[in-house]
Amino acid sequence: MDCPIKMRQNWEWLLDYAAGRLDRERAALVARHLDGCPDCARFVEGQRMVWNALSQWEAEPLSADFDRRLYRAIDRARPVSWLDRVFAPLQPLWRPAVPLAAACVLIVAGLLLHAPQAVMRSVDSRPRAEKVEVEQVERTLDDIEMLRELPLTPQQEASPSKSM
Amino acid sequence: MGASAALDCDAELMLRVKDGDGESFALLLGKHRASVTHFLYRMVQDRAVSEELAQEAFLRVYRSRETYEPTARFTTWLFRIATHLALNWLRDQKNERGQERLDETASDARTFEVADRAPSVEQRMLSEAKLDEVRRAVAALPDKQRAAVLMHKYEEMEYSQIAKVLSCSESAVKSLLFRAYETLRVRLAHMA
Repeated sequence: MDCPIKMRQNWEWLLDYAAGRLDRERAALVARHLDGCPDCARFVEGQRMVWNALSQWEAEPLSADFDRRLYRAIDRARPVSWLDRVFAPLQPLWRPAVPLAAACVLIVAGLLLHAPQAVMRSVDSRPRAEKVEVEQVERTLDDIEMLRELPLTPQQEASPSKSM
Repeated sequence: MGASAALDCDAELMLRVKDGDGESFALLLGKHRASVTHFLYRMVQDRAVSEELAQEAFLRVYRSRETYEPTARFTTWLFRIATHLALNWLRDQKNERGQERLDETASDARTFEVADRAPSVEQRMLSEAKLDEVRRAVAALPDKQRAAVLMHKYEEMEYSQIAKVLSCSESAVKSLLFRAYETLRVRLAHMA
């Protein structure tokens, strides 16, 4: 093997040898050459030192929202249809109305859901009241009758004899 | 063999993206997001900027999907976009503030990158100082040399692929790398 440094040829073999990336055949050739060439041996030693120093520089972890930001940028970069372009200036006008409209829809839906029950209640309430009144009257009459049938108390019984 | 399989896979995914398959884009993003961002981070030495540039690179990939043709490896295309963005950013920075910015970001990153891996304060400070020297040495390289070194060392790219990314000949890449590593050997010699 010719000296890569002196011949200025295949010097990258030394680079790859120092990095451990050279194939086995070439690595054997370089190793043999290094035994008899102090310049190349020094070069490889220096290159190994650089390689190890660079290896200490580890990569930074990426931000957790990297993809989210990218997809947002992609969305922003998407072509806009002519319809959107026409209505885009009107957006500030109708956008604030959206939550208001949603609230109105909810209220109406709530009323529709509760209104039938309210109506039913109002329909049911009258006969029920009448029923209650009739029962009360009947119960009162029964009570009066019961009072009439009750035997007189001893006081009441004694009083006529006293008077006699 | 592995590289060609990767080529087919990535190019195939990109062709699916071209057909409107969003899932394939998500797969490509998941596969290359980290390597592109790490490459850009080491190029510009600023975390926020590197993420912004990486996002721009993927955004450009997505935008170009309709005109995509698998003439080269997908990673070659992707790194060409990323390198282009990084070189432009570095040029703009130099125009605006000169070298000052790099020093600032290097010191910012230093505080950020100190890992609590070292058991003692002394060891941590030592590794921090070494790391800082490595960063400064890499930052001091000319932009193209830096890009070549980062692709060679961290992305394990072949010389031919680096040449395609940098749009130059393979021999030019070897020359760039030779000069870059020579500079690094001198600057980092005391770390041996």
